[in-house]
Amino acid sequence: MSLLDPLLDLFRGKAVTIPPMDGALRPNTLLDDSEVVIAALEPDNLAVLNGKLIYSSGTDVRQVSPRKTIGTFASPVTALAVSDAGALAVGLDDGTLLVGGKEIAGFNCITALAFHKDTLYVCNGSAGLAPSQWASDLMHRNTSGSVWQVDPATGNRRQLASGLAYAYGLVIDASAGRIVVSESWAHRLVSIPLSGGRATEVLPRLPAYPARITASETGYLLSLFAPLNRLVEFVLQEPDYRADMMREIDSRFWIAPSLSPSHSFLEPLQNGGVRSMGVHKPWSPTRSYGLVAELDHDFQPQASYHSRANGRFHGVTSALMLDGAIIAAAKGGNHIVRVAAAGGT
Amino acid sequence: MTFHERLQAWRYNLVPDHIIGEILTKRWTDNAIPFLALLVTIGVFGTAIPGFFEPFSLLESTRQLGEFLIVVIGLTVVMLAGGIDLAVGSIFALAAFAAVAVFFIFELPTGVALLASIATGAVFGAINGYLIGYLRLRAFLTTLVTLVIGRAIYDILIVNYGSLIQMSSASSDVWDFIGDGAFSGFSVPVISALVLAVVAHVALTRSRPGWHILAVGGSRRSAHNSGIKVRQTVFMSYVISGLCAGFAGFLIACRLSGAGPGTGLNMEILAITAAVVGGNSLGGGRGSVAKSIMGAIIVLVMNNGLIRLGYGTGTNQMVLGIMLAAAVILDIRWLKNRHKVLNELYVAPIYHRMGETQSAVPDSGTPYALNNRIAHTEYIGLGELEGPEDVVLDKDDHLYCGTRHGEIVRFFAPDYKRSEIFAHTGGFPLGLAIDKDSNILSCVGAMGLYRISQKGEVKQLSAETNRSYTSIVDDARLRDPNDLDIAPDGKIYFTDSTTRYDAHDWAIDSIEGRPTGRLLVFDPATGETRTLLDNYRYANGVCMAHDGKSLFFAESWACRVHRYWLEGPKAGTAECVIKDMPGYPDNINRASDGNYWMAWLGMRTPSFDLALRHPGFRKRMSRRLPQDEWLFPNINTGGVVKFAGDGRIVETMGDLTGNSHPMVTSMREHKGYLYVGGILNNRIGRYKLENADPAWTGPRSYWGART
Repeated sequence: MSLLDPLLDLFRGKAVTIPPMDGALRPNTLLDDSEVVIAALEPDNLAVLNGKLIYSSGTDVRQVSPRKTIGTFASPVTALAVSDAGALAVGLDDGTLLVGGKEIAGFNCITALAFHKDTLYVCNGSAGLAPSQWASDLMHRNTSGSVWQVDPATGNRRQLASGLAYAYGLVIDASAGRIVVSESWAHRLVSIPLSGGRATEVLPRLPAYPARITASETGYLLSLFAPLNRLVEFVLQEPDYRADMMREIDSRFWIAPSLSPSHSFLEPLQNGGVRSMGVHKPWSPTRSYGLVAELDHDFQPQASYHSRANGRFHGVTSALMLDGAIIAAAKGGNHIVRVAAAGGT
Repeated sequence: MTFHERLQAWRYNLVPDHIIGEILTKRWTDNAIPFLALLVTIGVFGTAIPGFFEPFSLLESTRQLGEFLIVVIGLTVVMLAGGIDLAVGSIFALAAFAAVAVFFIFELPTGVALLASIATGAVFGAINGYLIGYLRLRAFLTTLVTLVIGRAIYDILIVNYGSLIQMSSASSDVWDFIGDGAFSGFSVPVISALVLAVVAHVALTRSRPGWHILAVGGSRRSAHNSGIKVRQTVFMSYVISGLCAGFAGFLIACRLSGAGPGTGLNMEILAITAAVVGGNSLGGGRGSVAKSIMGAIIVLVMNNGLIRLGYGTGTNQMVLGIMLAAAVILDIRWLKNRHKVLNELYVAPIYHRMGETQSAVPDSGTPYALNNRIAHTEYIGLGELEGPEDVVLDKDDHLYCGTRHGEIVRFFAPDYKRSEIFAHTGGFPLGLAIDKDSNILSCVGAMGLYRISQKGEVKQLSAETNRSYTSIVDDARLRDPNDLDIAPDGKIYFTDSTTRYDAHDWAIDSIEGRPTGRLLVFDPATGETRTLLDNYRYANGVCMAHDGKSLFFAESWACRVHRYWLEGPKAGTAECVIKDMPGYPDNINRASDGNYWMAWLGMRTPSFDLALRHPGFRKRMSRRLPQDEWLFPNINTGGVVKFAGDGRIVETMGDLTGNSHPMVTSMREHKGYLYVGGILNNRIGRYKLENADPAWTGPRSYWGART
C-alpha cells in the first residue's frame, strides 16, 4: 500500500475482496466425484442413531439403510442431535425443540443441536427469523444469533452467548472446556466457554459460509453451505439497493448466496458465470458451492472436498465421519454422498 | 416513483458522467497536470513579483523565453526519439561565440553570423548523432563528454578573444533589431520560437519523419522491425537539437552583443527540467511540443522569479531539482495507472426503469412462456465453430456463419458435415445477409460493413458515418456494427449498437444502459453512409418486412422492437411495435408464414431490472468489483420468438437446459428447418419446424424465384 492510496481511494472507492480458497481449501472435484449414498429432497442435518445414518429432509427424519421414515413433524426439521443414551433431539422451523418426541422448549431459529453429558446445546441462528428465512437474515445484516444450554429433563435453559452473526453449527470441545460455533455471516468459527461468556475467534476469514461442525477421529468436519461472493458482499454494502431488493423481489431471485445451482433464468447472473462455447467455468463467480473442510483438533483446515461452480453437490449443510468415510448432505444438490477421507494429518 | 428514485434519475441522466471517461481516452489529457502547474506558477510569481505582467517586463521575459524554448524544442525531439542531449548548453554557448566572433572580430554581416551559429550547432549535433546513432554509444555519457569538451573549448576561446570582441566597433541595424526590437510586442526570439513550435508540432504529429522519431522512441525494436531506419532517425534527432541550440545561441549573441563566461552555463539542466516538467517522457516516444512550451514557461518563470525575489542560486537549483523529481515520479505513476483510472471511470451508468413485463416462466400461460423445444437440435459444426453470431443460407442451401476468429465459414449442403473457410475478414463477423447477386454482406464487429463475393473476395463498404456535433469520442467510426438487411432498391440498412464500447465488450453496454445505438443506411450508388436514427439502447437485429416497405429493428437492452418506415405516410419515422418483452432481442429474420423470427440473447432478471433503477449501485459495482463479478442480464438463457408484423407474439421456443443453445443471437428459416446460432456458442443448431413451408428460402423471399 503506497502513501497515495488513501488519497486515491476517495476517487476509486474500496475494492470488495474476499478470502481466497487456498492452502488446505484449494479447490478440487472430490465432492463431485464422490459416491452417491442416496438421492433425497433437500437432505439437511445428518446424525447417527443406533449406529444407523439418519438425515432430515423436509418435515421428515429418515434412515438411509434400510430406508425408512423415523418421524414426521408438523414443520420442516431444521436440526438433529442424538444423545449418548440414544435420545433424538429435533428442532423445527417453527422453533419447536423436541427431545424423544417431547416438546421441551421453544426457540425461533434452531439451526444446530449437540449433546454433551446429557445437556443439550442449541444454536439459535437469529432472534427474529426462522431458519428457512436465512437469506433474509443475511440481507438484514442481523447479528442476533445465540447459543443456549438446555436441560432436556426439565426444559430449563440458559443463554451462553448472544450477538452472533447467525450461529449455524456447534461442537463441544470438552478437553478445552469450550464450544466452537459457526458464525456464518461473519464467515468464521468462534469459541465460547462451556459455562458461557464472550465469543473469541478460532478460525477467521473462511472463504465460505460455515454451517454445522461434527467431531471426527482426526479433529472435526466443517460443512460450508455457500461461497462468499464479491457481488453479494458488495450488495451487503449497498443499503438502498438491498432494501428495494428485499421489498420488491422474490427471495429466490435475490443477489444472495444460494444452496443450489441455478434453477431459473430469473436468478442473477455474473459476467464470469456466462456459458461460453458450451462451457460453464468451474472457477467462475458463483452463489452456490459444495464444500466440506477437515479441521484438526485446533480447528485449522487440513483438507477439503469441493463441488465447484459447475458441479452438482452444492449447499452442504452437514457432514460427519462414518466408518472412515465422510458422509455429506448436499441440501442444494439433493443428494447424500460418501467420499473417502483424504486423511487430515 | 419515489422522490429518492427521481433524484437518482436526475442525478445520473442529466449529469454527463460519461464525458470524463471519454475525455480520459484522449491523449491530450496527459497535459492536464503540467497545465495546472503552469497556471499555479504564473499565478504565484505573478502576484509575488510587482510588475510581472507589465509590457516591458513581459517583453524582456519572453525574449529570453524564446531562446530557451528553441533549445527545449530541440531537446524534446531528442527525448522523443528516446535519447538525451546534455550538450545543448555548450552548443548554445559555442554558437553564440561563433556569431559574436564572425560579427565583431571578422566584421562580417549578420547573415553570415547566423550561418556560423547554425553550422556550429549542426556540427556538434552531428558529432553527437554519429556517436550515438551510428556507433551506438550511450546518449548520456556521450553528450556529457561533448558538454564538457564544448564548454572547455568555449572557456578557452572566451579568455583568448573576449577582449577583441569588446573592443570591436562593428554594428548593424539588423543585429540590433534582432537583439532589441519587436514587431508590435513580439520580439524576434518569440516569433522564431513560435514558428519553430508550429513547424515542429506539425512535423512530429503529421509527418513521416516525425512519426519515425516517435516510433523509435516508443520502441526501438518495433521501429526497426517495421522498417524504420533507426540509426539515421536517432542521428537526425541530435542534428535537429544541435541546430536549435545553435540558432538560440545566435539569438542570445544578438541580445547581449557579446559572450561572457556565464553564457549557456547550466542551460542543459534547465532545458531537461523544462522538457520533463512539461510531461515529456524520459523514456521516449511520449511527449509533444505543447508540453515543452508549458515546461519551458514553468521553469523560466520559476527560475527568474526566484532570482527577482532575491533567492540565491542554491535555492534555485534546489527548486529545479525538486520539480524534476516530482515530474519524473508523476510521469511514471501516470503512465502506469492511466489505464486503471480509465477502466474505473469509464462505465457511467444512467437511470432506466424497465416496463413491467409478462412472464416467460414455463407454463405461465403467456405467449412468451419458454419451453425446451430447441434443447434438442441437430448440431452443425460442434467443436469446430466458435461464435456463430449469425447464420445465413444461400440459394444452393449452403450455410454461412461468422466465427470469433474473424472467418466466415461455409457448410456444404445437404448434410452440413463438410465445411470450408469461405473468407477471412479480420474482425468478428456478426450480422449476415445475401444480396441479389449472391454476395454475402456482413457487419464485421469493430470494423464496419463488408461485402464478400462468391469468390471469397472481401471488400469494405462502409466504416464510418457522419459525425455528430457533440461527440467527444469519434462517433463517426462504426464501433459495433451488428446486423443488416437489404432493401429491394439495394440500400443496406444496418445498426451500430453502441458508440461507447467496442464490439467484444457488448455486454458491458448493458451495465451502462446509455442509449447510443444507431440505425444507419449505406447507399451503394453513392458509397455513402448516413445515420437515420440515434439514441437506442443497443440497436441490434434488422429485418426488412415482407413487403419491403418498412423494416424491423431490435433495441436489445430496452427489450423492444421498432418498425422504421421506408415508404408511405410515415416514411423516415420509427414506431415501437413490441415493448417490454421478458427477453433481450437480437437478430430478426423472416419466417415462411409471413411472420418474423426474433432471437432472444438473454432474459431479464428482477435483480438486474432493479439495478437499472440504481445507477449509483452499478457505478460503484464497476469500480469496486472486477469485471468477472459484475451483475449481468441473464445471458445464459435465450430463446426464439415468432412475431407478426403488428407486434403480436405467435410462439416462443427456448432451451432451459442451457446445454444446446443457452444464448441465441440468430436464427434463419430455410426449407422447413430453423438454423440457430449464438455468439457465445460452439455450434449451430438445426431444428425441424412443423407447419413450415418446406420450399421457402430466404434468398427467394428477398430476390424472387430467379435467384
